[in-house]
Amino acid sequence: MNLRMVLTKNYKSFLFFLLLLIVIISLFSLVTGYLSISLSDIWSTITGEGTKRNQLLLIEFRLPRLLVAILAGASLGVAGTLFQGVTQNELADPGIIGINSGAGLAVVLFLTVRSSQVSSSTLINAISLPVAAFIGGLMAAVCIYMIAWKKGITPIRMLLVGIGINAGFGALLTMLQLRMNERDFNQVAIWLSGSIWNAHWPAVFSLLPWTLLLIPISMYKARTLNILQLGDQMAVGLGVSLELERAKLVTIGVALAGVSVSVAGGISFLGLGAPHIARKLIGNKHERLLPVAACIGALILLISDILARNLLAPAEVPVGIIVSILGAPYFLYLLVNSEN
Amino acid sequence: MKKIWSSSILLMLGLMLAGCGNEQSNSGETAEKKTSNNTEPEIMTDNLGNEVEIPDNPEKVLASYLEDYLVALDVTPVAQWSIYDGESIQEYLQADLEGIPLIPHDLPYESVLEYEPDLIVIRDPIEQDMYDQYAQIAPTYVLNSSPTEWRATLEEIGEVLGKEEKAQSVLESYKEKAKEKAEELAEVVKGESAAAIWMVNNSLFVVHPERSSGAVLYEDLGLEIPEVVSELSSDADWAAISLEELAKMNVDHLFFINSDGPNAEMLEDRLWQNIPAVQNEQVYEFGPETSWLYYGPIASEQVMDNVVESITNRVQ
Repeated sequence: MNLRMVLTKNYKSFLFFLLLLIVIISLFSLVTGYLSISLSDIWSTITGEGTKRNQLLLIEFRLPRLLVAILAGASLGVAGTLFQGVTQNELADPGIIGINSGAGLAVVLFLTVRSSQVSSSTLINAISLPVAAFIGGLMAAVCIYMIAWKKGITPIRMLLVGIGINAGFGALLTMLQLRMNERDFNQVAIWLSGSIWNAHWPAVFSLLPWTLLLIPISMYKARTLNILQLGDQMAVGLGVSLELERAKLVTIGVALAGVSVSVAGGISFLGLGAPHIARKLIGNKHERLLPVAACIGALILLISDILARNLLAPAEVPVGIIVSILGAPYFLYLLVNSEN
Repeated sequence: MKKIWSSSILLMLGLMLAGCGNEQSNSGETAEKKTSNNTEPEIMTDNLGNEVEIPDNPEKVLASYLEDYLVALDVTPVAQWSIYDGESIQEYLQADLEGIPLIPHDLPYESVLEYEPDLIVIRDPIEQDMYDQYAQIAPTYVLNSSPTEWRATLEEIGEVLGKEEKAQSVLESYKEKAKEKAEELAEVVKGESAAAIWMVNNSLFVVHPERSSGAVLYEDLGLEIPEVVSELSSDADWAAISLEELAKMNVDHLFFINSDGPNAEMLEDRLWQNIPAVQNEQVYEFGPETSWLYYGPIASEQVMDNVVESITNRVQ
């Protein structure tokens, strides 16, 4: 493909362009919404001369939300790339194979246990929810591994088992949810639909360290991912300890998906779509694919969030639903085309 | 279609309120008042355990779905509860709330910020994270009192707004009026029973004898509770009842809240037409815009007027 060649050649400028696009759309996101605010208002707010209203609107409501969208989108994009790399299947996505619902289940369990304890501070939540989500996602991954294991893992088995695990965990989640009190039920319902509408600074700070740590680590693993692409035998021949590397990559992917679930809820299709679009644009080399997938993921979630906030303003559509509306047709298109 | 949606949401709200009613009545009720000194700001502990600094004489109060109480206390809210951009509002309060702008029921931050309230009062216990965001806009107080106890709610809101005396006088005059009306009714229909039935989405619900309009019928006006109603009383404000059960119910006066309109299938059903109250023409129909599905001093008073008017007109 011609475009791909051009982009690959000018990879650095392309990446710069993507980052610039994120900045521009971010600014657009800040000025759009139910209450109006102009670019000059933004400037005066940043320099500390804005009104209290604008300061609340920008700094406390819109900015953390924007950052959560970028961080969660990037995490899901990278997580999806990792899963697709490990399973050698372009249809793998942490949402589809049950990682997200595993993480969700753990968060719900955590909330249920916590509500019987002393009241929770926001800080404790910000630290413990991502950890709980990570453990839950890991649980799902281990389940998938155990069930799909037949003298090793075949990617297609892994995917199918994952879909089953997803359904199972989803059912458990519903069961738990029905036994909750109203306050916890509400919180769970809000983020299960994939929502970042109550994103606030603690949420940003609970995401940030994970993404800052794990996205660079995944990029460091790009070479391994490239080798995995050559097929199992070749990879073993090149001295990769296959199962160990797979387990490591899956763990990183689970952690990235889990933390974004703990903050932004069950956003499906992003982990599928972002790497796929990135692959079309820049090809299969993971040292380029991963950063581009991260940017594309951030962009998709950013744009979906703008839509979510403005379509029915001041009411909101959960951003996960917007992503799904955009993503579901794309997934079907992939399924139909993968037959050939 | 949209009407069905808004009815379903009302129903859900009712069930939700009922669901949390019991838990709260144990824990709540006692809003501690630490200082009532005029020089120091008043601090009250809310349902989430937050110590809320209540401003003196708040002028712009936002208390979504609690407008009934505000109206009773002569306080004009900055915005009023609504669903779907005004698809559903509290119609029965519009005589007092006309022209008050609408705010979505889920209180998006930006909508709340738009009205720049100086006090926010919230009914349901919300997530602390959300509370923190609202609290940045204005002092936010989550009610301790149970949603099924309008009198306690009125007293608590009165306390928050510094209108304790007004709250007491509203309660007093309600009590007096209820007594008077109950005597009036006792003269014409002593010992007769009544029930309130709500039809929505072609399903029937009967009111809980101690909640919402049920409390008005039985506790305030002293009408008899039909056997089936006391058996059905679950934890919801409105308990589901089948048409068969309703047909068997031995009730003299049936207050029928019809959210489905005059062409509902149910009304054509033979079973419906054979209900004794229907045959005796002692069914009094009300639309969903009336206050029968709500809580509060105004809602209760309107229900009381509806009941007395319907029955006395019928008997004469």
